[in-house]
Amino acid sequence: MAKVLMKGNEAMALAAIYAGCEAFYGYPITPQNELPEYLSKHMALHGKAFVQSESEVAAINMVYGAAGAGARVMTSSSSPGIALKQEGITYIAGAELPAVIINVMRGGPGLGGIQPSQGDYKQITRGGGNGDYYLYSLAPESLQEAVDLIKESFDIADYFRNPVMIAVDGLIGQMMEPVDFDREVPKWDLLPKTWAADGNPQGREKNIINSLYLDPLVLEQHNLKLKAKYDEMRKNHQRYELINMKDADIVIVAYGSVARIARTAVEMLTEKGVKCGILKPITIFPYPDQAFAELPDSVRNLLVVEMSTGQMLDDVKIANEGKLPIHFYGRVGGVVPEAEEIVQAVLKIVGGENNG
Amino acid sequence: MKRITIICGHYGSGKSEISVNLALKYKINYLIDLDIINPYFRSRSLSVMLEENNIHLVESTIKNMTGSDLPYVSGEGVVPFVNPNITAIYDLGGTENGARVLVQFLDRMKDMNEVDLLCSVNIFRPETHDVKSILKTIAMYEAETQLRVTGLINNTNLINDTVEEDLIRGEEILLEVSKILNIPIKYTVIEESRMNFNHEFQGERIDLIRHVAKKFL
Repeated sequence: MAKVLMKGNEAMALAAIYAGCEAFYGYPITPQNELPEYLSKHMALHGKAFVQSESEVAAINMVYGAAGAGARVMTSSSSPGIALKQEGITYIAGAELPAVIINVMRGGPGLGGIQPSQGDYKQITRGGGNGDYYLYSLAPESLQEAVDLIKESFDIADYFRNPVMIAVDGLIGQMMEPVDFDREVPKWDLLPKTWAADGNPQGREKNIINSLYLDPLVLEQHNLKLKAKYDEMRKNHQRYELINMKDADIVIVAYGSVARIARTAVEMLTEKGVKCGILKPITIFPYPDQAFAELPDSVRNLLVVEMSTGQMLDDVKIANEGKLPIHFYGRVGGVVPEAEEIVQAVLKIVGGENNG
Repeated sequence: MKRITIICGHYGSGKSEISVNLALKYKINYLIDLDIINPYFRSRSLSVMLEENNIHLVESTIKNMTGSDLPYVSGEGVVPFVNPNITAIYDLGGTENGARVLVQFLDRMKDMNEVDLLCSVNIFRPETHDVKSILKTIAMYEAETQLRVTGLINNTNLINDTVEEDLIRGEEILLEVSKILNIPIKYTVIEESRMNFNHEFQGERIDLIRHVAKKFL
């Protein structure tokens, strides 16, 4: 298949089919509705399961069940719906099951609005539900990157036996872009799912899917086992992109749609003689602190740009280790920052034109 | 151009951009946004610009609620069907479900010869990638709107990756559709950044300026 023009939600849905997703459970919410709509047609055509459940809570618990049975499984929603799913997500992480969850973020808190936002950053990167767990969380900036990451995410979930969160905002869900579905993505070395509650056709010892450990010493061992996974993610599986870093005077730290807008801002700044780079986290958990160590010595300021009131700032502060001054520019409520606004925010810091 | 033009097509086939461009070019009286499918990128987001150009925008009954996805359509959408002095463009929502919204107004129309129902097609959309799938799509729209599609719009593009050969290929496929259904290719859409395409395309050429999705790309 050569390049096709897709709407983001459709493209993410088709990427899951390419990744071998066997079952999808979901409940409608704007701005991700085209995703379950697409799968309601196409999962059946591929001989796979699609269920529109009676609620988000039902959907995530269906994911829990199907993942426990060893299926490749996905759900999607948008911010308030993802909030409802948190109980199920922590059970899935606690029971060490693989699943892919797509969050097409909209403005909050509460019902908020239906326009794009990155306001779920803390919820996504700190686990979201109760207990000591994290989600491997990927934040693409384009439809092609979203498709490539979703195709790989099912392997990542299987590898770690942990849920993977695809964190995009409504803009990625709703925009149109050319996509190539045949691009190669990394294949992970996966073991057979010998832990699955699959009906036990071979008559081996029973597999039990559970997150309940009443003996504190046993639960502690379980917690430490989970921690070892998250440490492994932090150590070896950070992902990021450093853009236009040569001799950069200032670096914009931005992920997802905002990184995309920042690229346009950098082009405009280059014309003004300002040397501006972009540090783009691709994983927001694990946070790519390794990228900050790679910044060139020329960098004198960091500007964090987000569609939130500054939820990523804490992670930047930790990764920066107090080395560089950190500035912030954000738009919230569903307002998408224009490239020109980012340019002005940079100029305010570097002191006008031709300062680079 | 007929007094009333209705534009249908899958989401992302360019309906809203084409509607706005045609309305501006031909100083159309009414632009009726019947899109209750998409939450973003709707022609109603351009209310100020349209009113400045003396184009009356008909949208939801709850005006200026661009952040609402409540499926309200203003009864004002019927006006061009009953007042023969008003020119209009109807911008339908994506998919056949979006087209269904139109039906409530149709029994007020006296002379259907004044109405064009145009289907916008981009062969890079998987639902309309070849003759067979385009015919199937058109049949769905006709079933939902209870009208015959009277013309085609060649809006073949891969946004910034579009080359002239893509549009020519789109035209070849649409010419086959045109022959089978005996309807013309009414317009070929060429975005402003690609004005250097000089192949003699079928129908009238729309040199398209992006209004609806411009600021995000």
